[in-house]
This record gives sequence, C-alpha cells and structure tokens, in this order.
Amino acid sequence: MDWMFFGEISLAGLAMGGLYALIALGFVIIYKATRVINFAIGEIMMFAAYLFLAFAGGMEMSAWIALPLAVLGGSILGGVIEKTMIRPMLGESPISVVMVTIGIASILVGLVEFIWTADPQLLPSFLPREPVFIGDLYLAPKIAYGFLIGAAVLIVYLLYFRFSRGGVALRATASDQAAAYSMGINVRRVFNMAWVFGSLAASLAGVLVAATGGLSPQFGIIGLSVLVVVIVGGLDSILGALIAGVFIGWLETVAGAYFGGEYRMPATFLVLAVILVIRPYGLFGTHEIERV
Amino acid sequence: MFRNILNKGRRLAGLGGLVAALTVAAPAMAQDKEPIVFGGSIPLSGVFAFAGIHIHAGLTDYTDWINSEGGINGHPVKYVMEDTAYEVDRSVAAFKKISGSESPATYYGDSTGFMKAIASELNSQGNTLMSGASFATALTDNEQYPYQFIPGPNYSQMFGIILEYIASQGEGGDMPTVAFVYSDTEFGKDPIENGKARAAELGIEVVEDIVTKPGSVDVSSEILKLRRVRPDYVVFHGYVLSPINEFMVQMRQMGLDTKFMGTFWSSDKLIIDKMGADADGYMGVMPYNYYDSEESGPMLDALRAQAEKSDPEADYRPTGYMQAWFNAMVWTEVVKRTLDAGKELTGDNMAEALASIEDWDTGGIIGIPVTVRDMSFPVGRIWRVNAEKGRYEPVSDWIHLD
Repeated sequence: MDWMFFGEISLAGLAMGGLYALIALGFVIIYKATRVINFAIGEIMMFAAYLFLAFAGGMEMSAWIALPLAVLGGSILGGVIEKTMIRPMLGESPISVVMVTIGIASILVGLVEFIWTADPQLLPSFLPREPVFIGDLYLAPKIAYGFLIGAAVLIVYLLYFRFSRGGVALRATASDQAAAYSMGINVRRVFNMAWVFGSLAASLAGVLVAATGGLSPQFGIIGLSVLVVVIVGGLDSILGALIAGVFIGWLETVAGAYFGGEYRMPATFLVLAVILVIRPYGLFGTHEIERV
Repeated sequence: MFRNILNKGRRLAGLGGLVAALTVAAPAMAQDKEPIVFGGSIPLSGVFAFAGIHIHAGLTDYTDWINSEGGINGHPVKYVMEDTAYEVDRSVAAFKKISGSESPATYYGDSTGFMKAIASELNSQGNTLMSGASFATALTDNEQYPYQFIPGPNYSQMFGIILEYIASQGEGGDMPTVAFVYSDTEFGKDPIENGKARAAELGIEVVEDIVTKPGSVDVSSEILKLRRVRPDYVVFHGYVLSPINEFMVQMRQMGLDTKFMGTFWSSDKLIIDKMGADADGYMGVMPYNYYDSEESGPMLDALRAQAEKSDPEADYRPTGYMQAWFNAMVWTEVVKRTLDAGKELTGDNMAEALASIEDWDTGGIIGIPVTVRDMSFPVGRIWRVNAEKGRYEPVSDWIHLD
C-alpha cells in the first residue's frame, strides 16, 4: 500500500470534511433552536457565494472585504427568511414548514438565475495559490486555506455557544422552550438569531466550497449531501455535526480515490444506512427527534 | 450585477419590439404555401439554461434568416418551442403538445434522455426528424433511432478525433499517454469504452480514467492520482466548466506539463471568460468554426450578420448558438431535398434525404465539405485557447472520420 498516497488523500478528505462540518453546523444550529429542517441551506450557501461573486468580481472589491460582506448578506437573508416566512408557520405541522423551506430554495435558484444568469461561474481567486506541504504530503492550497478559515470560525462558534449569553439562551431554548420563555428569554429573538448564525456558517462554507468547485444555480444540491452528515451526527448535536462532517468528508474522498468517483455517494449512504439501523437518532443525537 | 439586469431588460424590450413588429408584419409576410414547422423542447431554465438560451437564439435567428431568404422552396418556416427546464418529462410533454397542434417536420431535443425516451413515439408517428443538443453515441444506432441524427460527430467520434490528434503529436516513436476524466453521468460515460478501444488501436496508453461526482465537488484527490501517472494529455468529457479549471490549475501548480483537452460542451468560450489566463493552452474538439474565428464563408457571414441584427450588443455567440444554427441548416437541407424529390415530409423520406448528404458545402460553418455517416457528421478540428487574444485558434486541419 502506498502510505504516502493514503496520507495525501486523507488530508484532502479531512480538509473537505471540515467544510462539511461548517455547513452541518449551520443546519444543526437552526434545527436545535427552532426544530425546523432547513432544506434551503444549500441555496443560502449558493446565494452568499453569488454575493461574493458580485462584490469581488462585478464590483471589484478586495476579496477580504467581499468575503465578510457576502457572509453578512447570507446571514441577513437567513434572518429575513425566518422572520417573514418561517415565523408565520409556527404551530403548523413540520411537513408544512419543510415544504416552505423547499419553496424558498426554488425561489433563491430563480432569483440567482434572474440576476446572474444560469451560466456556470468561477469565483475570483482569493486564496494563496502556492502548494501546501505538510511534511512530504501535498495538500491543494484552496482546500488547506479554506479549512483553516472554516476551522477558525468553528472555534469562535463553539466558544460563543459555550460562554456567551446568546449561546446560553440558544441552548436553553433548545432544551425547553417553555422554561426558557418563563425565565425571561426572548424565544422569538433566539429563533431569529439561530437562523442568522446558522446562515452565517453556511454562507461562509458556501463561498469556500464555491472557490474550490465552481458555482452555478445548481450549487445548492451540496446541501443535500450534508443531510447525510447531520443525520449521521444527530440532527440536534453540534459535536455530532463536527465529527460526522470530518468523517464523511474523509470517507467520501478515500472511497472516491480507491474505488472511483461513482462510489463516493454510495459509501456515505452505506454509512447512513448502518447508522440509521443501529442509532436512528444519529451518533450524538437525542432520542426524541422526530424524523421527516 | 445591475448592468446584467439592465442588459436583460433591454433584451426583453428588444424581444417585445420584435414580437410586436412580427405581429404587425405577419399579414404582409404570409405566403400561400403551408409553413414548415421547426419544433423544439428548449431548456430556457434549469441546469442547461446557460446553453438553452443561446440554442433558442440560434434557432430563432436562423428562422428569421431563412424566411428573409424566401423560406424553403417558398414555404415559410415557423419555429415553435416550449421551455423544458431540462427535465425529460417536460420535454416529452412539450413534444406531445407541439406535435399535436403543429405537426413539426423537424424537432430539437434538449437531452439524450429525452431523445431516447421519445424514440418509440417518434418512430410510431413517423413524420418528424429529430436532432438536438445531444451528441450521444447511442443515437447513431439507425435501427433503434431511425429518425434521429447527430449535428456533428458523436461523443465517441469526438474522442476519435482527439486521439488522432494526440497520436500525431508523438515524437521519435514515443506515443503520448492519456488520462480520461469524466462525470458520473450517462453523458460523461458515453464515449469512454469506445475511446479506450480507439486509443488501443492507435497505440496510445490510457494511464488513468477518473470519474467524478457531478456538481460542485473537490477534486484534489483525483488530481493526486494523476500526479502519480503523469499523463501527457488529459481528456475531459461531461463538463461545462468546473472541475476542468481545478485540474488544470492544480496540476500546473504541481509542475506537470500535461496538456488538457475536451469535447464539444467543454470547449465553449465560457472557459476562457471564466478562467482567464489559466485557460491558456486548453484544447477542444469543435465541429463548427467559432463565431469569432478568422474563418469565413457565405453561411458563416450570414450567421454573423443575422446575430448582429437580432442583438447588436452581443458581440459573441457561444457554441450552443452555432450548434442550433447548424441543426436548422441541416433540417432545411433535408426538407429541401425531400421536397425537390417530390416526396412527402415523412420520417423515412427525410432520413433518406439526410443519408444522401455527401460532400455538402456548409458555407463556412464547417471548414470542409461534409458527408453524413450513420446519421452523424463525423468531422471536427482541434482548437487551442489563446488566452491573450481571448479566443480559440485552430491547431489541426479539419479531421473527417470515415
């Protein structure tokens, strides 16, 4: 066995898994706080990536200004969606809310096709292009730097949820909405903030993934791949999202490298099937989760 | 972004003006003879819309042009289409609707999936000849698809042309090595087995074949595999843009001097526009002259004049436009030959007329006279990106496969 090759493949997979973890985090934050399965997460990623394209490409801003602006735009979009389309659905059946998020996804695809056309796009290059070597192991620079940015944001998120008042409010709301409400926590505001923070993580991941794999109105499909991650990790577990994201990224890449690209998805779905049989609520999820 | 919206608004306004003008002018243009109908399932939205918009423009412009030339043997041409969003069920529904109300003589299919799905109905109706966006090898099976043709070389023939070019680059008896990279789709897999067989015939070693997941994916692990085999050429198939850019950029970062090539849908100017200097040296097989090439000819000049007339602000027309125009040219030629022979416009008669095309001068759309073989036009040329000039330039003669 060529261990050097295995090492390089594994590194690439782990780095990609880091980005999956970031997207999954966005998904889980929203689910944890609001119990909404957000099928529009991929399209929110896509919208933020198009915003980056508009700022850095069309308006020729520095990428380091365009990136925070695009991420901010994506998170504001998340907040607006919650306030105008999800909040009126409070109390409705989970299926109805899921259908609303699918509808939002369609609207976002139509919107980007109208504004930016259906042409495939490449984002302006903003990450260093020099190859990265860890020891003798090669790692593609976009993946390496994308992972570093994603990991930094993940750490900030974890610290925020652990120590800040907002983080405690979110965790309290996730545990028991009625108790949180009676303790003076503004639950509606927490719902809104969950969409904002979840969309922020997804938006950042959207720009980083699009910088690697290109961008088109169909980009949002990647959100469905991340469904596997969150189901494996547990829909309401941040730790599960992180571990499952990194693992699925690694598995997908190794399966693709050794068995061929057509085995990437079957490998991950095989893991999903096994997990659903032995732990239907995911590796780190709680038991009472209702699946749709 | 705002300029984009503005341009779109102007184009829509232009389109509205055109529709209004045609409505007013219609009585004056009306001719005694029955119109010949060109039908189409066109992907104006969805995953293939980037090409569908230009395919629609090509068919619309050709129809306007042929009518301005007096139609086909005095018959006006009418182009009727429906948007399909590149979904097979919607394409089928569009075909049923248009064939039920308009009896099209010819029809543009937007995908291989649709053209296969509609084959039995097309065969049983027996009065429409179909071609379209697909260059699928399977569609050149005359027994199964007697009323469908390919408006160029099929994908296997494109690989044949590419491999002939690669074989011609061998020096001192050393044949270059090649790797195939293709998407995990029916489209992507189409020419791979035939390509491997043809490579073996030519003595070219296929050192790796890589299939990638469709969509926006990281391909760095696939690139690591290519680093180990160091192919002289990588041939892409089943992509429009990504991940071609990632393969090229990362392999060059690794210091490899591999050359990169692609088939029809991977050889649009989009690659130059989006990749910029990174696209330099990329090569593609193309059966038609590019809109901005230095080539000319009466039909190519007419195409450029019509394109300029219909949208003066669009200074370039993509390969989808050229392909649609050529489709309509072939339909016209086939209908004309059938009518000249005093026959009815049935599928059999039009297929027979198509098969009779030999050494046909396309007026500069294709650089050499072309002959139909097994319902396809197995001709093409290798073009290479000159990033500085922002266009493809020919690096081979026209190659016509027997």
